[in-house]
Order: sequence, then structure tokens, then C-alpha cells
Amino acid sequence: MSSTVRFGHTELPEEQQDALRKAVKFEWITLGFLAVGTFLVFLVLGNSQAMKAAWIEDLLSFLPPISFLIATRIIRRRPTRNHPYGFHRAVGIAHLVAAVALLVMGGFLIVDSGLGLVTAEHPTIGAVQLFGETFWLGWLMIVAMVLTGVPPVYLGIVKMKLAKTLHDKVLYADADMNKADWMTALAAIVGVLGIGLGLWWADAAAALVISFSILRDGIKNLRAAVGGLVDTRARTYDDSEADPIGARIDGYLSELDWVFEARSRVRDEGHVFHVESFVVPKKWARPTMKRLEAARIECIDMDWKVQDMVIIPVAELPEEFLPGVSSSGGERA
Amino acid sequence: MAIPADPDGTLNEVTDGILHVGVTASGEWVELRPGGDPQGVEPALVQDFAKTLDAEIEWVQGSERELAEGLKLGELDLAVGGFADDTPWVTDAGMTLPYAETTDQRGNTIKHVMLTPLGENAFLLNLERFLLEQEVAP
Repeated sequence: MSSTVRFGHTELPEEQQDALRKAVKFEWITLGFLAVGTFLVFLVLGNSQAMKAAWIEDLLSFLPPISFLIATRIIRRRPTRNHPYGFHRAVGIAHLVAAVALLVMGGFLIVDSGLGLVTAEHPTIGAVQLFGETFWLGWLMIVAMVLTGVPPVYLGIVKMKLAKTLHDKVLYADADMNKADWMTALAAIVGVLGIGLGLWWADAAAALVISFSILRDGIKNLRAAVGGLVDTRARTYDDSEADPIGARIDGYLSELDWVFEARSRVRDEGHVFHVESFVVPKKWARPTMKRLEAARIECIDMDWKVQDMVIIPVAELPEEFLPGVSSSGGERA
Repeated sequence: MAIPADPDGTLNEVTDGILHVGVTASGEWVELRPGGDPQGVEPALVQDFAKTLDAEIEWVQGSERELAEGLKLGELDLAVGGFADDTPWVTDAGMTLPYAETTDQRGNTIKHVMLTPLGENAFLLNLERFLLEQEVAP
């Protein structure tokens, strides 16, 4: 490809360009699969609460891929005069929207399924006629769940790897949901089999399990999305730990022969980071233009995510900008 | 063990037992006669169905609301009365697949169904299999 893919003014390295192309392709595959899957499940929905919950989860699964596809378009725009930081936050907004949808729907389904359990609703599933045969609709429900429960696991595994390469949290959340989809399918199958065995409560109980998994997804995603939007310290793509790039930059800057100490604050804009590094020069060393420029270029070369970076020479580390920093306060060497 | 099974064992109880059938008048589908058994398309179907289970029929007359209540409380096993697949009683009763179609004076298609107790899926499936094998014409 001749045209360079960029996120804002960040030119993506070959590996990330490749991952992005694949991610877009796999999200379209996901959407296609979901369209077929939700239609199939809709046809056999019947009166099963568990099937209804699984179907709604499938419908909600449309949101993350759509969010991802829209966001990856918007963030390609270069920063403008009115948007000097670029449009990276589009990812955060998409993430938040998907999280709220999951949360609300999960809560609604818990109440809905719980009521079914309390009022002892007996789900009625009768016959279906297909190819001239009359048989129990429950069998068809189970087939539909097997067909729609397995492929997302593969899609999830593939997208998880791409999410890591692209440092994309929406893609990560999507992959995580896909990977867990087989559990939803299994719960629905158990619910339908329960009805088959005359255990009316099995269906509502399975629906509750699915509802709680939707709610848990919602809470997890909401925490990550809000965390990003309120400028939490940059964390890895799966939010498991602080992103190591901050420590690497601090380590590099502190090692420079003209630097006494250095600390950075790093926030995650969606894919790329904003880095502000405060450096305290040694007493007799001068932070010349040349030295500052050289240090900045070195830091930007460390990782494609670091592009929007400023180095600020200061007399001492500003505690109000770097909470938790106990400025050494000692005499500068 | 057969799948599906009835949570309340309706199919087992009516086989060689008594089939409690609620009826409400509805044109040629259900005709009620004082002092006699109900006549019409649906009572005839029910009688044939009862034969397949060696069941005696106990007819119970009532309004649609009373029949729905009877199904909900487990007093009835089956209700007929010209019900269509858009019946509003689906929260209180289960519904068979449509087994016959007619057209009313306004040209709307009516898909005829019978009502069963909620969740008695073995009984429902048995009834549906029977109904779908019949050639029903009013």
C-alpha cells in the first residue's frame, strides 16, 4: 500500500498498519457473522428467557465492532486548529457508549429474568415444522446456539492479538466478549435442555447467568472507558498494569549525562499517548536546544505510541503535576 | 425420559384419565347446546385427540377470561373457542401452532390455535403433532 495509515499525526509502523487492516477485516467478518447469527436465533427464539437473553447479548455485540470501525475512521483525521490534540478520544466515546449499553441491558435482563423466576413462569416451547417434519422447537434452539456460539471464540482469539498490537481497548473489549460467547451459548443450551426435562426454572436461571455476564461486561468496560476519559495513567491494552513506556522514558532521560532526574506523566488518548516529561538538569549542565531535541527524538523512537511528547526542563520536579513524587530535594550533583 | 417433559405432568394425567376441556362459543368452531356436548369443528377435533390418549372428556363452559384462568390455575388441560394466534391470552396460556387458516369478512387471515397450560410442553407437542396431521376445514 502506498498511502500511509495514520492515527492523527502519528504514522503507523508497518506492523501496526498490518494489524489495523486485519482488525478492520475481522470486524467486518464479525458484523457479517452477527447479522446471520442474530437472524437465525431470532427465528427460533420462542418463549425461552435464556434464548432471549442470549439473543440480546448477540444484538449488543454489534456495538463494539461498529464503534471500532467508526472510531478508526475518525481518528485518522489529522489534528486541526480547533482540535489540536487530534481526534483520538473518539475511541473513548465509542467505548463508553458500548459499555453503557451493556450495563443497562444487563440490568434490565436481570430484573426480567428474576421476575420470571419469582413469579414461576413456565416457559412454553412447542412444535416446529421444518422440511415436512414436526419436532420440538427446543432442539432447533440448541442447534442455533451451537452454530452461533463457536465461531466468535475464534474471532475473539484473533482480535485479541490485534488489540495488543494496536493498543486498542475497544477491540480488546470486543475480543474479550467474543471469547466468552461460548459460555452464553452453553448457558442457553442448558436452559433449553432444562425446559425439555420439565425443569421450568432452569430457563430463567440460565437467563440470569447470561444477564450477569452481560452486566459484568458492562461494568468492566465502563470502568476502562471512564478511566481513559478521565486521564488515568496509561495502562496496557488489557488494563492489567501500568504501561511500561513511562518507566522506560524516565529511565532513559535519567541516564542522560546532563539530567539529574526526570519524571513523566503519560495519558492514553485511545491508541497513542500524550507524554509530558519533566527533567531537572544537573547543576552545571545546560539543557540546550540540541540536547532537548535529541532526547525527544530518542523517546519518540522508542514506541510508535509515543509521538505527542513534550520535554519540560524544570528546576525541581513539580509535585502538583506528578502526584506521588517525593522530590529528592537533595543537593543537585 | 422423553424430551420435552411436563413440569406438572399433564400428558401423564390425561392419558387413560380425564381431559378437562374449556369451551366458549365461537361460530361454527364451537357450538354450545343446552343439555348436550359442544359441537363444531374444534370439539370434534378434541374428541378425536382424546381418543388417541384413551381419555374421557370433561367439558367446562366459560368466557375466554374464565378459560384462561382455568388453564393458569391448572384446572383445565385444554381450551377451545375459535382462538387465533394473535390471542391476548398468551401470558396465561400456552398456544399450539396454527392448525387451520380462514379468512374473515374483512379479508384478514385468521390462524386458528388451541390453548394449553403454560409450560406443559410434552402435552403441547403431543397435541400439535395430532392437530398438524388433521385436514381441518370449517
